[in-house]
This record gives sequence, C-alpha cells and structure tokens, in this order.
Amino acid sequence: MSQVQSEGGRRKKAQATLVEMCSVRLGQGLFAVPISHILEIVGSARPQPIPLAPSFVGGLVHYRGDVLTTVSMRHLLGMPPREGSQDILVLEAAGGCFGLLVDSVCEVLTVSSDDYEPNPSILDERHRALFAGAYKLKESLLVMLDPERLDPMRLGAVQAA
Amino acid sequence: MAMDELTREFLIESQEGLDRMERCLTELEERPKDAELIGEIFRAVHTIKGTTGFLGFTRLEKLAHAGENLLGLLREGKLVADRPIITGLLSLLDGLRSILKSIEVLENEGEGEDTNLIGRLEELQEPRTVQTPAPPETRILAVAGATIVAKPRSRAKASASAAVPPSPPVPTAPTPLAHAAKPDATPAPMHAQALAPEPEHEIATGAVTAKNPGTAAGTAAESTLRVDVTLLNRMMNLVGELVLTRNQVLQATAADPNMRLLSRRLDMVTADLRESVMKARMQPVSNIFSKMPRIVRDLSQSLGRRVRLQLVGQETELDKSLLEAIKDPLTHAVRNSLDHGIEPPEVRGAAGKDPEGTLLLRASHEGSHVVIEVSDDGAGIAVEKVRQKAIERGLITQDRAGQLAERELLQLIFLPGFSTAAAVTNVSGRGVGMDVVRTNVEKIGGKVEIESRPGKGTTLRLRIPLTLAIIPALIVHSVNQSFALPQGALSELVHIPPELAAKAIEWIEGTPLYRLRGKLLPLVFLDRLLMPGIQHKATTDRDNFIAVLNADGRQFGLVVDGLADPEEIVVKPLSAVLKSIGLYSGATVLGNADLALILDPGAIALRAGVTMSAEDEAEHAEEGEIEAGQATNPEYLLVEIVGRKAAVPLKDVLRIEQLPLSRIEYIGYRPVLNFDGQLLPIEDAGGILTAAQGDPLGAEVNVIIVVCREGSRQVGIAVSHVLDVAAGSDLFEGGSSQPASGVTLLKQRVTGVVDLGGVEPLPAVEAAADEWAEAVR
Repeated sequence: MSQVQSEGGRRKKAQATLVEMCSVRLGQGLFAVPISHILEIVGSARPQPIPLAPSFVGGLVHYRGDVLTTVSMRHLLGMPPREGSQDILVLEAAGGCFGLLVDSVCEVLTVSSDDYEPNPSILDERHRALFAGAYKLKESLLVMLDPERLDPMRLGAVQAA
Repeated sequence: MAMDELTREFLIESQEGLDRMERCLTELEERPKDAELIGEIFRAVHTIKGTTGFLGFTRLEKLAHAGENLLGLLREGKLVADRPIITGLLSLLDGLRSILKSIEVLENEGEGEDTNLIGRLEELQEPRTVQTPAPPETRILAVAGATIVAKPRSRAKASASAAVPPSPPVPTAPTPLAHAAKPDATPAPMHAQALAPEPEHEIATGAVTAKNPGTAAGTAAESTLRVDVTLLNRMMNLVGELVLTRNQVLQATAADPNMRLLSRRLDMVTADLRESVMKARMQPVSNIFSKMPRIVRDLSQSLGRRVRLQLVGQETELDKSLLEAIKDPLTHAVRNSLDHGIEPPEVRGAAGKDPEGTLLLRASHEGSHVVIEVSDDGAGIAVEKVRQKAIERGLITQDRAGQLAERELLQLIFLPGFSTAAAVTNVSGRGVGMDVVRTNVEKIGGKVEIESRPGKGTTLRLRIPLTLAIIPALIVHSVNQSFALPQGALSELVHIPPELAAKAIEWIEGTPLYRLRGKLLPLVFLDRLLMPGIQHKATTDRDNFIAVLNADGRQFGLVVDGLADPEEIVVKPLSAVLKSIGLYSGATVLGNADLALILDPGAIALRAGVTMSAEDEAEHAEEGEIEAGQATNPEYLLVEIVGRKAAVPLKDVLRIEQLPLSRIEYIGYRPVLNFDGQLLPIEDAGGILTAAQGDPLGAEVNVIIVVCREGSRQVGIAVSHVLDVAAGSDLFEGGSSQPASGVTLLKQRVTGVVDLGGVEPLPAVEAAADEWAEAVR
C-alpha cells in the first residue's frame, strides 16, 4: 500500500512512503481506509433497508442526487447490527461508488510504509478477504480496509460463489 | 484533444452533410432525375471541398473534387444517376467519411491513396449508354456494370472483412482499369469504416433537419443551436433534482396558505422546465431510420434479395439516449428480416408473391410508448422448426415443447443461443440475434413482441418508453417502508378493511384470491414476498389495499398495507447488486425526503408465480422451468355447466370471457368466437348457448366462455358460472396425479375434468387453406 496515490488528497506528500489514512471505529476495532479512496464522509445517516438484498448490504442512502448502496462493515466483520445512526464513507471502486457503514469516523492519520505489514498468515479466510494488511501504530494496530475488496459487486460475486 | 474549433466545426458540419447525402442517395436511386436531391448531394460535397481547401486537407479536397465533377454533370443533366453512379457516389461517401474519421481520431487525413476511387469517379463521368446493369457481354459494358454485376459475391466478402473495424482507409491498388476488373476492392475496407460507430458527441436540437430530409436542412441552421449531449444529460439530472425538491416543497408548504401560491407557481415552472428539457433531448426516429436504406441496399445486394423499404412515421420523436439504445437492435432486426424473412426473388416468384419483398419500418406513438415495427412480407417463422431447434439446443424439454402454443414457441427465438438459420451467414444466424435485441430493448424499459404468419411475413414490434427519467408512480406502504409502483402497470385499487377481509379474500391451499367483478384475481402480499419467513399481520388485523396490476399480460393484485399520494418520481438507477435482486427497477427520493424502491410489477408477478396467461407460460418456458409444483398438485378452475360441476385444468385456462350472446357466431352448427381475429371453437356440451338463445333478453344476454389452451390451439368452453379455483388433490378425492384432460379421468370422477382435447376442431382447420384457418391454429 506504499504506492497509494493521493489523487483526492489536497496535499501531495513529498515522500511517497507517507500515506494518509482515515481511521474508523467499529466496535472496539480501529480500521483505516486510504483517504485517496474516500470521496466524502456522510455523518449520522440512517440507510433505508432493502428487503431481499444480500445480507452485507446496509441499505440505501440519498447521496448527491443519486442513491448509494451501502455495505455494512459490521456485518462483514460478523458483528451484531448497531442501533442508531452510523457514519458513511463514500468510496470509489472500480464498479462505481458505494458507501461503507461504520460506527464512527475518527481522525486522519499519517502512517509510514515502514510500519506496514501484510495480512498475517493465520488470519482466517473471511477476514483475509477484507483486509489489506495493517500498520503498526504505537498503541495499537491500524487494520487496512481495501475499498476494492469491499465493493458490493465483488462481495455479491463472492457470496454467490 | 487539441483540435481547434474550426476543424471541429468542419467535422460536425461535414458529417451532417454526408448523412444528408446518404439519405438523398438512396432516394435518388428511386427518383434518379430529382434535381433537388442531386442539388443537395452536390452541396454536401461542395461544402466539404470548399472548406478542406481552406483547412489544408488536400487528400480530402482531391476526393471531394472528383466527386463534385461527377455530381456537376449529374446536376447539369448530362448524366443520369444510374446504379453504377450511385454505387460510385456511395463509395465516395464512404471514402470521405473514412478520411473525416481519421481527421477526428488521428488529427490527420491518414495514410491512404484515393486514386482508385477517384479513377472510378472519373470513369463514371464518361457518358455511357447503359441505364441498367447489363450482362457482361462486351468489355466496355462489363467495366461499367461490373460494380453491380459482380456485387453480390464480393460484397459478402466485404462485410466479412468489415468485422475488423477501423482498417486503414484505402489500399493502394493498381491502375483504375485493373481495379475495374476486380470490382469491390475499394469498398471493402471502407465498408468497415461505415460500420464503425460514428462519433456523435453533439447533436443538433430541433427536428427540422430530419423531418424533411434533404430539403429543409439548409435553412434550419439559423434557428438551431448545437448543444453538447453531456450538458443535456446534466440538465436532465438537475431537473430531476428540482422535481424532487419541488415535491418536498409542496409537501412542506401544503398547510401554509401564504406559501401555497408560491409553491404552486414553483410546481408549474418546474413542470414546464422539465418538459422543455425533455423536448430538447428528443430526436426524430428518422435519425436512425435514415441509416436503414443504405443497410438494406447493401444487404439485399449481398444476399441477392430484392427489397423495397418503406419508412413510416419518421417524425416520431424519442429521447436521444433511447434512440441510441435502439439503433443496434433495430439494425439487427432489419438484418434478420432480410436474411431470414424475405425470400430470394425466385422463391417468392414460385410462391406467387411479388418477387420484390417489402420491408416496412413504422414508428408511432402509443400512449406513453413509441412503437417501432419492423415488418416484412417474407416467409414468416416456421414454428415447427423453432420447436425442433429449441429441443435440439436443449433450451426446452421435449414435453414442454409439445405443450407450447404457437405464440409461445415464437418467444423461444428470444432465447440466448437460438438461431434457426440453417447455415451461419455473416449477416445473421450466429445465434446471438434476437436475444440481444430483446436484452437491449428491455434494458431501456421497453418490450419486444413478435408476430409471424407462415408464408405471410413477420412483424417485430419494439415498444419503447418515451422517457426513462421521470415516471408517474403510486407510493404504497408495506413492511414499514415506502415503495413506488409505476402507474403504467396499475389498473385499479381495491380497499378491503379488516372486518371484510375474511370474506373478501378467499384462500385455496394458501393461495389468496380476490373476486374482481366475478373474475378470480390472484393476490400477492407484498410483505410476505419481501420478507418471507416472518409472521405478518393477518389480513383481518389491518387494512388491505389491492393494487390491481397488469404486467406483460399477467393480471394480479398486489396487497399493501397503505397508500400514499401518487407522485412523479425521478428514477435513480440501482447498483448492480441491488438490481440483481430482480424485484426493483430503481429507487427514488420522495417528497418527504424518504427513499423508496421502485417495484417492478412484471418481476413480482414472475417471482410470485402468477400464471394466468399465455405470455406468462412462455416466460416460464424461457427459463426452462417445468412447473413441477403444478404437475403434482394441479389446480383446477371449478365451473358449473347447467347444474353440473366440472373442472378445467387451471394451467390451460387463458382467460374467462363474459360477453353478449351476439358475439357468438356459427360455422355450420359449430359455435365459434371471433376474438381479435382468432376463431375459437366453442364447446357447448351443456347446451348453454342454445338455451340462451331462447332468453327474453335475446342477443344481449351474457354468456361466459372459458378460453383454454389445448395443444397449439385455443378453445372456448361455454359455462353457466365460474365457481372457484381449487387444487386438484383437495377437490378430487381420488387424488390422481395424472395431468388433466383425459376421457378416463372424466369417467372416474363425480366432478369431471373437461376434456379439452375432445373439443372438435373446426372443419376449416382441416382444410387448412384459408388465411383465417391459420389464425385458429
């Protein structure tokens, strides 16, 4: 993940080894998405449920004149659904935009690729499919989420298979 | 791309000019002396020549110059536009196009030599005595006529090579004379260019140019303006947003008298604006129709057909994006008609038909749809062949194929991988034909219908919605959510309060039904459909609203918990994941800022297994499904025939007609019903019709006819009353698992199953000669 380009970022880093990450919280866990993939953060949304949709779909939200399909990160992690509103990261993937439902969006962290480690081999299959390694922070681990792997189209295909 | 404004404008203008030229050329073939047409073509070429010199495109200038010389002679009446000349001019057109294309893409004229083409154009300027292609008897004549005489073969090859688009423009071939000996060396790669998608980044608003092709075009320029399509798309989106905002404002201000006037004004302006933007996106179908004469000309020559093309309703307008979307399906349909439909002249002659076939393209408005028909007077579709082919390809089981009626069999040609062409030609027959047509049309919310009469021809009907973006819809509530139901499918609403629900909604083996004016309407509970496996409120504990829907010929009632106002909704596309659920055609934002999913009535009917009509059965057939559930536990329509109860297999019931006795006619002693041009023999075992004739009301007394499918035909059963629909095992204590309609079953039971096979065919069916007899079959 060291070559993440900060197309969307305002500042281009002089050193390519520094990456800006938007950290999000899900339950007790801290996860992150490279900010270059984030189009927008929508706070306190209540997605409209969609009957008969695949279970990972968190619902629909109105987003800039379009309807956005959201993916429930909680569901993907096998966590129980959360009462009340959630934050949405609007992400851009090859298949189009989608929303990622998280408990709350935290700060933007700048991490160095020196601290990066790929997924550990003992990580179970399901999580390995969702994570793209982790950054070792002082206090904790920052688990990387890969927007491409969270694309609902891809998740749908995986589920169907 | 850093193309300067001048060049860009030149390209657009030239392309428009060439489009006009193409239209005029095909017309010129019919009216070779029309000075106005020649003038129009001349102007197109002349304009190109004039501007190219200025812009420094020498290759283009040379070619246009050669064409202009030839056209000049035509204009002065020194030459007559016979076929070789028109063919030559068409090659000129292709040549000019390919250079323009190269300028657009590569920003230069491309490497290529036009000496061949120019040579040919010069040859054509020599006065000749030929009017029609002459047999290659003398050498001189052969040179002149070669392009045509040798055409059929070489053209076929040409389109084969055309499969690899943009090929380098013009090959360097020897001398003009050598070229004449091997006719189509030049057109081949050019043909490829013509087939390649044309750049249409910009369109001219206003319909003037196309309404009267070739004549009014020149004067339209002053009052029209070119607008980028992307800008129009954006405007459409914004108008959509405005409509949503308006809806919200209307709802929010409904109670405030001060705001009411303002919001009403906003409402009006929004509606006007919406209409104007939509109108700006409209283009006449002549934009795509005009491509057809050329296609038909080329194809009929390569296939050795003689075809007269008729274009009707060219001024009919359609949204630009929709027009784009049907271009390919339409072209495909035309190709199909020529390849499979219209027979070679000899065959037609032998069959006593005009050796020249007719291909009719007709566009017309029909409600909120535009209907585009492609009909030919060719051989029609051989239904038996379709049946065999479908079995052969494993698209359908033998049993199933045996049960299908003609109309349903025709639907099979829309299955992927279906083709009846004996040999795969390069025109069509690769088995990727009609399914592509259907998918493309359905993708834009349209429908494809097919009608075919053996020996008489085939009609393909594309039903296209006028616009995609905004549709009127009824907002309904279910599972604590709002859903939008397109008004187009909605025919009526029935409210059943909780206290009446127990009586009004009847159940047969878990299947809810409602008697709508005596007809049994299958009900689908939206909550049960959307959230299966959850205990839902009983019908007696809540209000039941039945939305009577008509989707692709299936009628059913969708039961919802509540209704809200109808709204004009802006259709927002769903992501692929949600689309694949299959029940929703989109989503929208409501006036109260809630999101609502747009329900797809056809998909709901299919999902819920509503089976009442022929189309529906065909749908099932397409999915290769055998209705196992019905086979083991068949349902019957319980009827009364003069005091005696009888059962008709429900799967064979197409519809129940209540009509005045006067509609029943007689052929000899046999009662028949003329239904939409189809004659149904009527079984009147109980003498109901005879009895009705004695009725004091006379011909006005109503009789009930159950229209059933029997094999490939339809028959009517006269009944006194329609009582119920019941599952076989419940109704019949014997509980036989044998499929219906048999004399043995009839004997075994107290309630006999009407033996549909026993209904005598009409005498005329056996004669099988007259046209109407075919209609019955």
